[in-house]
Amino acid sequence: MSNLPRKIRLMEIMQDGNEYWNYEAIKQAMQDYGMQGDFARDTLNMDLIELAAIGFIKEVDLKVDDEGAYKKGFLLHKYVITEDGKARLSDACMYAI
Amino acid sequence: MVDLQALRQAEHGRRIRNGYMWALFCAVLWGIWYIPGTVVWGLAPFVEMYTEVASTSGDSMALLVTAVLITALNAVTVVLALFVWNGVLGNYGEMVRTAKSFQPCSKWFLFASVFGGPVAILGSFMAMGFVGGAFAAVAALLYPVVGSALANVWHGEKISKRAAMGIIVIIAGGITIFGGGVISELQAGSVGWIGCVGGLMAATGWGIEGAVADKGLDVANADVGLHLRFISELAIWIIIALPLLAIMGYPVFTYAFQVFQPLTILMFIFAGITFGFCYVSWYKSFPLIGVGRGQGIANLYGMFAVISTILFFGDVPQWTVLVGGALCIAGSFIMFSEESLELETLR
Repeated sequence: MSNLPRKIRLMEIMQDGNEYWNYEAIKQAMQDYGMQGDFARDTLNMDLIELAAIGFIKEVDLKVDDEGAYKKGFLLHKYVITEDGKARLSDACMYAI
Repeated sequence: MVDLQALRQAEHGRRIRNGYMWALFCAVLWGIWYIPGTVVWGLAPFVEMYTEVASTSGDSMALLVTAVLITALNAVTVVLALFVWNGVLGNYGEMVRTAKSFQPCSKWFLFASVFGGPVAILGSFMAMGFVGGAFAAVAALLYPVVGSALANVWHGEKISKRAAMGIIVIIAGGITIFGGGVISELQAGSVGWIGCVGGLMAATGWGIEGAVADKGLDVANADVGLHLRFISELAIWIIIALPLLAIMGYPVFTYAFQVFQPLTILMFIFAGITFGFCYVSWYKSFPLIGVGRGQGIANLYGMFAVISTILFFGDVPQWTVLVGGALCIAGSFIMFSEESLELETLR
């Protein structure tokens, strides 16, 4: 169970610098928060989209979801955390209660 | 063969459209809020309160004191409306987590509540009370300039020439709508420096709020962040402002307990829902299209407020409203038609 806000937790999952498909990070975060269902999944995906829009994570690859890993027929994004994201994350995790 | 780049571009376009849609919702709801926001001034107990304070301290002070009480009560219903909203979204757990993360998240919403609440709203009422309503409206319409400049300098947010032009045309539209009123207000009498300070507070308060809140929204959810911002604003009114006015001898608490009358409560519920969701939409637009564009489109509230008062109060529009409205719409299209790939990243 994570005590961090969702966006911070998503960045924390990626802080090792490895590349993550959106559904991998989302699945991990859903487990951390005990979240279930499509709405929670889409909410977390929106968090990732917002993190990418401000440049805290960046897209490195994409493919169509043929197997239904996230949502069949939709576009899957692979992200990696950026230096800006790491800097904000270190600030965030240092002070989070 | 699936064209991945075309799919990516379409998905990206959806994000931008959603951002503009939220900003437009904000403008419409802000405009509708002017209905309960205006009506409530004519209801009990505020009429009696205004008259009592005015008899001892003058009209301008009566307006300020009454405004603080109305704004505090408005914040109560906004907080309640947002409890329903965040409950439906299943966000209570996220709210606790975000509130606890004070340094990275909630401190920014606390600062945002100071700039958006006491600075901007009080400033707006000061401008209204000591100069006039049209002056206050025009001053407030300038806030996206402050917001986008600050977001650009502080966050490195991209403001394209097209976005900047759109913001300026919308502001020009707003000034055209209220401009005639400002001239007659300035000609009507002496312009108190308090009114000018109030205008400056209104112009800067909401702009600074947007940039400050956006810092928190980097790592927080907009629905949750906005709720924390309003809880914080409510605390400022209830713990600091109202007791301060009571100590100064103004009967704010006496009148606060007299609001439990059907029509007054109904208006505050209406105000809470419209203001709450206008603000939710405002905050939701920032991470999607940036502070500058979000505030620029939300600035259309001036036009929607005029439309609301025409529809619900039967005010006859002047020709300047039509010209200003046309400029507002033109400014919006300048922004909407921006190449969406320019907005792939906002910074």
